[in-house]
Amino acid sequence: MEYFNLYANCQLVTGANMSLLCDLQMRRYYHIPNDTAEVITYLQQHSIDECIAYYGEDNREAITGYIDFLLSRELGFTDTQHLPELTPLSLSWDRFGDITNVIIEYNEEIDYNSAFFRELFNQQVHALEIRCYQHLPLEKLRSLLEQFNGTTLKFIKLVLPFHLTLELASLDQLVKKYPRVKSILVHTSPVDKMERIFAESVPVIFYKGSINSCLACGEIRTNYFTTNIELFTESQHHNTCLNRKLSIDLQGNIKNCPSLPESYGHVSTANLQEVLDNKDFHKYDNIRKDDIKVCKDCEFRHVCTDCRAYREDPNDLYSRPLKCGYDPYTNNWENWSQLPMKQQAIACYGLTALIN
Amino acid sequence: MTLITALPASPVVLSQKNNTMSAQILILSQSHLEGSTDHVCQWLSHLRIPFLRLNGEDLCQLQRLTDLPANENIAAVWYRRKIHSFPAQYQLKKADFNTEYTLKRFLIDEFNGLHSYLFHLIDRHKWLNDPFTEDSLNKLQVLALARKCSIHTPFTEVVTTKKEIESLLNTYPEIIVKPISECIFLEDAAGGQYKMLTKTIHHANLHLVPENFFPSLVQEKVEKKFEIRAFYLNGEWHAMAIFSQNNQKTREDFRNYDTERPNRTVPYQLPATLEAKLHQLMKLLHFRTGSVDLMVDKQGNYYFLEINPEGQFGMVSYPCNYYLEKKLAILLGESIQELEPATL
Repeated sequence: MEYFNLYANCQLVTGANMSLLCDLQMRRYYHIPNDTAEVITYLQQHSIDECIAYYGEDNREAITGYIDFLLSRELGFTDTQHLPELTPLSLSWDRFGDITNVIIEYNEEIDYNSAFFRELFNQQVHALEIRCYQHLPLEKLRSLLEQFNGTTLKFIKLVLPFHLTLELASLDQLVKKYPRVKSILVHTSPVDKMERIFAESVPVIFYKGSINSCLACGEIRTNYFTTNIELFTESQHHNTCLNRKLSIDLQGNIKNCPSLPESYGHVSTANLQEVLDNKDFHKYDNIRKDDIKVCKDCEFRHVCTDCRAYREDPNDLYSRPLKCGYDPYTNNWENWSQLPMKQQAIACYGLTALIN
Repeated sequence: MTLITALPASPVVLSQKNNTMSAQILILSQSHLEGSTDHVCQWLSHLRIPFLRLNGEDLCQLQRLTDLPANENIAAVWYRRKIHSFPAQYQLKKADFNTEYTLKRFLIDEFNGLHSYLFHLIDRHKWLNDPFTEDSLNKLQVLALARKCSIHTPFTEVVTTKKEIESLLNTYPEIIVKPISECIFLEDAAGGQYKMLTKTIHHANLHLVPENFFPSLVQEKVEKKFEIRAFYLNGEWHAMAIFSQNNQKTREDFRNYDTERPNRTVPYQLPATLEAKLHQLMKLLHFRTGSVDLMVDKQGNYYFLEINPEGQFGMVSYPCNYYLEKKLAILLGESIQELEPATL
């Protein structure tokens, strides 16, 4: 008897109509019909012959075709048994910090070296995005980056407006001096292009559009999907957009995300522990994709970033992201901004001007 | 303790001393390229477990011997790495191959003399792994110990002649040759890098083998279905299967990494009987942590290959979602709690 063993880090996520086979190790997904997913699931409990007997000879070709596909992508292997020692992947999730990701909307009036910031970056923040809507001279940028030396911060993304002084050579110097900077996005650029600096290790994306407020955030697109073990496991338990994340908006207010209305104090006076102890600060933490309307029927739910700031129904915390145009029941992607059912929410959030 | 009471210290100093007294984990590591140490330290910080990370590089800044961690302040020691590299200033100004080798060897010996003093300074039972056993681990002895624990090992021999290899090839269709010690990496003048990995000898390439050669370890080649790397932590095994067979590059040795088609690495549960035997082996070696490499042949038989007590567990922890760094941090933290009632 021949059996098909699916590798434990290849996880099936079933949607209303289609499924996603997520290869968490190779970081890619395969969009497959639910019928195929059903066969793959059946093969986890039965031999290949039993599977063909169950679905009927008529389906032999289809089933062997599925297996050939899985083998060719190295998503599993065949053996004389289902190896009992190949145990399921644990989907537990944890991180060594109360806050893992921070977004700062930069404002030169704010002191980024205050007690609040020192406390925040003393506790294992993994990644930081610094968003600049206005031009920031390089020397100011340097002194801002200087204060992250000696912290355990691993990753800094800079979002900067285009400026003539932002030559690749000076950006190259900057990232060599501050190697935590691992990605740069230059908006309001005369051209769309991508360059790489620091021996090709740091991408610099030039983007024609202008990023001058957080209203542009929250889009759900296939390019933003991430297939990896961190996101997949966190998504089983928590909100992937907001769990253990903190933002400082342009005014210095402490928020879950710059786009959300709630503020939990001001950086000049707030105490980090008090923010972390505030129950309201955690109100989005455990809203899982499995709990969100429509998303819970979507096969992309565990590779998706979600957005709680702009919702299809602004009055419902469990409503799907407004800026998602995917319909998991028809499997079509539409331009969300043109959908009639979204217009009321678009107006409510003041996004009309942005869209037009 | 006696030291503190004997000192005419102010009450403030006394209470400070008492606070920091027992409650610290010592981590011996290196300053660069040590993600696993970083991870464990981050978990320790998050779990508010006090620790001191002493990188080998730090010893190059030592002011006096009393700067070394004191036994009474240390609850447990995790010995992960010795040093990454000596500071650049301790290199010859002008390259000179012969002198360079001798001097480098001398610096290493000097450094080891200082570093291994820590093995004596801190009580032996506090070390997660016995440092003396760890520093003198012998591959041949480990294989012999494994067999003593009735763990199956591939046929292993040390030979010096082609004739001997030829006769082995009558019993085993293929044999492999690998170092008795550790693999080395070489660099040539043009910057080319060479890594020493496991190689196969068979009838077709036997002619490349010289008549006589330096004592070399040979082993029967096991036609593997997959390999296993199992991380041991305080009595528990956390294993991972490594499927590399489809990949010509890694067929002989999974360290021949292929970045485009990496090996498939998935969680694995070792059979209970094998776990028990391996546990016995770890006890014989006085190791509470370490990684074991195993191989499974086409028929499903297990072969023990070797132990790496320093524990390459990052490569197991992440793909299998085991959170081994957190488990290790918690284990280290427990040794502080165990120690506290005794010192209070």
